[in-house]
Amino acid sequence: MTDHSRDVAIVAVSQTPAYEAFAGPEPVLIMRCVNDLLARTGLERHDIDFTLAGSCDYLSGAPFAFVMNIDGVGAWPPVYESHVEMDGAWALFEAWIRLQLGDIDVALVIGSGRSSPGNNREIFALQGDPYLTAPLGLDPASLAGIQARALLDADLATEADFAAVVERSWKAAADNPNAMVRRSDSADQLLDQPYYAAPLRAHDVAPVADGAAALLMVAGDRARELCERPAWIQGIEHRIESHHPGFRDLTDSPSTRSAAEKVGGGGTFDVAELMVAHSHEEIILRRALGLGDDTVVNPSGGPLGGHPVMATGLVRVIEVASRIADGSAQRGLAHASSGACLQQNLICVLQGDD
Amino acid sequence: MARPCAVIGTGQTDYRKKLDLTLDGLVRWAAIEALEDAGMTFADVDAIVIGKAPDALEGVVMPELSLADGLGAVGKPIHRVHTAGSVGAATAITGATMVESGRYDRVLVVCYEKQSEGNATWALSGGKSGGQGAGGTFAPWIRSYIERSGAPEDIGWKVAVKDRQNALRNPHAHLRIKDISIEKVRDSPMLWDPLHFLESCPSSDGAAAIVLASEDVARKSPGKPAWVIAHAKRTEFGQFPGRDAVRPQAGVDCSAALYKEAGITDPRGQIDCAEIYVPFSWYEPMWLEGLLLTPINEGWHMTDNGDTEITGSFPVNASGGVLSSNPIGASGLIRCLEAANQVRERAGDYQVDGARVALGHAYGGAAQYFAMWIVSSDLQPAYR
Amino acid sequence: MLPDVDLLLEYPYTRTTGPVLGQFLTGLRDGHLLGIRNGDEVLCPPLEYDPATAQALDSELVEVATEGTVTSWTWVADPTSTHPFDHPFAFALVLLDGTDHAMAHAVDAGSIDDMSTGMRVAVQFHEERTGSITDFHFVPLDRAHAVDIGAGAEGAEPVTDIVQLIALNYHEPLHAHRARAAQALLDGRFIGQRSPASGKVYVPGRGYDPLERVEMGEDDELTVADRGTVTSFTVITPVDYYGQKETNPYIRASILLDGSDSPLISVDIRNLEEEDIRVGLRLQAVWRPEGERDLTGIDNRSVPLEGVIERWDPTGEPDADANKLREFTQ
Repeated sequence: MTDHSRDVAIVAVSQTPAYEAFAGPEPVLIMRCVNDLLARTGLERHDIDFTLAGSCDYLSGAPFAFVMNIDGVGAWPPVYESHVEMDGAWALFEAWIRLQLGDIDVALVIGSGRSSPGNNREIFALQGDPYLTAPLGLDPASLAGIQARALLDADLATEADFAAVVERSWKAAADNPNAMVRRSDSADQLLDQPYYAAPLRAHDVAPVADGAAALLMVAGDRARELCERPAWIQGIEHRIESHHPGFRDLTDSPSTRSAAEKVGGGGTFDVAELMVAHSHEEIILRRALGLGDDTVVNPSGGPLGGHPVMATGLVRVIEVASRIADGSAQRGLAHASSGACLQQNLICVLQGDD
Repeated sequence: MARPCAVIGTGQTDYRKKLDLTLDGLVRWAAIEALEDAGMTFADVDAIVIGKAPDALEGVVMPELSLADGLGAVGKPIHRVHTAGSVGAATAITGATMVESGRYDRVLVVCYEKQSEGNATWALSGGKSGGQGAGGTFAPWIRSYIERSGAPEDIGWKVAVKDRQNALRNPHAHLRIKDISIEKVRDSPMLWDPLHFLESCPSSDGAAAIVLASEDVARKSPGKPAWVIAHAKRTEFGQFPGRDAVRPQAGVDCSAALYKEAGITDPRGQIDCAEIYVPFSWYEPMWLEGLLLTPINEGWHMTDNGDTEITGSFPVNASGGVLSSNPIGASGLIRCLEAANQVRERAGDYQVDGARVALGHAYGGAAQYFAMWIVSSDLQPAYR
Repeated sequence: MLPDVDLLLEYPYTRTTGPVLGQFLTGLRDGHLLGIRNGDEVLCPPLEYDPATAQALDSELVEVATEGTVTSWTWVADPTSTHPFDHPFAFALVLLDGTDHAMAHAVDAGSIDDMSTGMRVAVQFHEERTGSITDFHFVPLDRAHAVDIGAGAEGAEPVTDIVQLIALNYHEPLHAHRARAAQALLDGRFIGQRSPASGKVYVPGRGYDPLERVEMGEDDELTVADRGTVTSFTVITPVDYYGQKETNPYIRASILLDGSDSPLISVDIRNLEEEDIRVGLRLQAVWRPEGERDLTGIDNRSVPLEGVIERWDPTGEPDADANKLREFTQ
């Protein structure tokens, strides 16, 4: 992070619950978040200088599906907004970049998706190389299984470790009103379940959900006018690895490590929210980030408690920001990923005022 | 505060109905050409931004994941913008903000579409029968424009002829109709009344790329930089009570914001040439008005008078425009790229003499997304 | 009761393969496995570039051994329709002998117990091959059997294209407000939603007012007239594409139903000639007989009215003033 960066803070956050199936249109999910943010901050729609949304047309089954989502955000009179076909965490990144230009101060960031109508496994198999792996239907859950196996083979984890991640995450999810999973199986009970993408079991795969999340970020001292404890973005960066699994060390996440190093700042984190879409990923991410026992990981339960695809990464940021806002954390790390086997990783470090 | 940003390299594939390449091959062609133009290699790039229209056009979900390696993005940030038809220009703007923010010094922007793999009309129809395509959406509004403005019926034909004749000077252009004429356009089959076949854009394969750089890097680059003076985007709902889709407010607001940012008070006089997104002929006069270059209902006079010819007082689409090449995801970037090449004096046989300030423009969706920029050969343009 | 929406998004994508992949796929069609050199390494499948540097690889392709070692794997217990087998199988990373990076592919091992990291596998070419990554799969080494390589679709022409049929199913209930609107259509009525914030009437209702960002529900619904004014139109000459059923030109219009503030768009009118349609024309919907109304094809995005509306007849009233319809030109 360069010295002349503008300080930007998250001043308000909102998320819908993670629904197994939301019976209404996606713009309604977004609208609820946007109205919530405006109500909390007392801002009007026209006070928002720039809006950035992340979503995926293929989830909805319609090319251009993202266009209807502006119904939820508001676009009359005309607004300055943009869209990425990525998780809302990348919309956050671009919005942060935009605020650095200094001419605008307030940005609205959104992530949303309804996964319920489609078959997630088949849709995201189409992320694969169209010539070499998509024709095989090689899907992210299968690739996750391959990565989990690599961890076992390298003696870096056991299946019991995977189950422990799920057990702990579900326990935490019980305290999260937005989580979808309301189970409290013990690790032993989990290990009794059949394989889904061996060595992963069905519960090792984050359950996809319908949901939306949004936040308001503000540059400079104005952030303190809008909330008591802004969550300042100390740094945000992302990196991608090779798409070809044969060119990667699947037991590690070098892109996570290098994104975190680039964000810099050293020190420890009170809380870390990691986009654990498959339980074994937590083990890899903890190691890559050097997280110790003094960091609470996924106090929200993480995606294993509910995975609103395209919002999940932004929700990680939101979970950290809200813990800074309520004073229970001073410094936190949020992680988002995209692509099978943690191909692309984003790190956002947030800090409260001293 | 915003740092200066310049286009220091451009690259384009040929635009054709079908290019015998993989998607990797397609984007690499444009990217490598842009990097060479900038005197750089992949290793020099700090960040990569991809832009393209819906993934369903090629059936590859989130292609930045499978294209990252081929674009030298491994170990770097890669980002993917999607704003429907305006995406190419929106991506150029996103790339510019990455440099202007101070975060990155050299950003590679690549936009593409390989429409021969899928079918644009199918995609626009949501995969269903009875799709109207983009032309079917705009034709009713075009009819309304013709009626309101009193424009003679041949204005659209004149635009179609002009852009296809310009395309003959552009080796990259898809449509190369040597014997294009008013009669040929008028007599071509009607597609969406009142648009004839030859008043409509082709469906193309193609990729375009630009390298955006900070001032330090730009001043050391081999070619002449095209400074990004200003950029703007605006969006409105596609349908709502009270919407007049013939003259979208978002387009008008976007133009006003752009000129304000650029310090332009007389766009017609202070801009030397423009690349504007005209996929259907009549959008030339309609956007001339939306761009505040003429009063309402008078845009067609500029076309009629020959003002928008290459040799005219306000050349529009000297490259042949979207009417001659339309790989949807790239088309908006191509407008921004061609504007940059005009002020860099790199437009070859379709160079507009003395072009120092140029406009790149794109629109998308139900004429609801607008993205535009102004580039100049001077960091402080003379009009300021 | 209206059935749930079942949408099939399907297209047979045709992909050009370029020179490197084209050679590789031609090799598969002809029963060979080919790779490409990258410095000291051999890559299979071949790439057009070095993933580390993005530099182009310009070498000729080389023959690669058809046996290798599994470096990691997973067991697909419940294959989807896009997987290469109907029965459980493994996806694995296979490092072919003589190459330097594993390839991802399928192993038909029979049982999860027959899979292990480090096991030896061999390429099993299929009898019928078209020049695709699906022309083969892997099997445990001792189960590979010879295939008459000449049985493939071999010809002199190299492979330059592949076809990938992508078919995705989406299943969801109609949103409540759409189900009510659809039921009304089956009953021979148009209903809209009036915004409690602005009073504007939307037809069809979206379940919310986007201008005021207010949700709308059953309490906001009202019947609007089944007659209205043409605010814009075109004549569509159908373009052929996969799934297209239309062949003859037809009118597509936006109609502002009396009592509504936003026109019904994409209304197909087949009973009028082009010379009879104009902005401002007053039209009356003529419903199909009650037992013959059908909304097959309705989903949460569009309403095919032709299953309930037989035709739109001019009412005979004077045209509305086109100049007053500008704000309904959508």
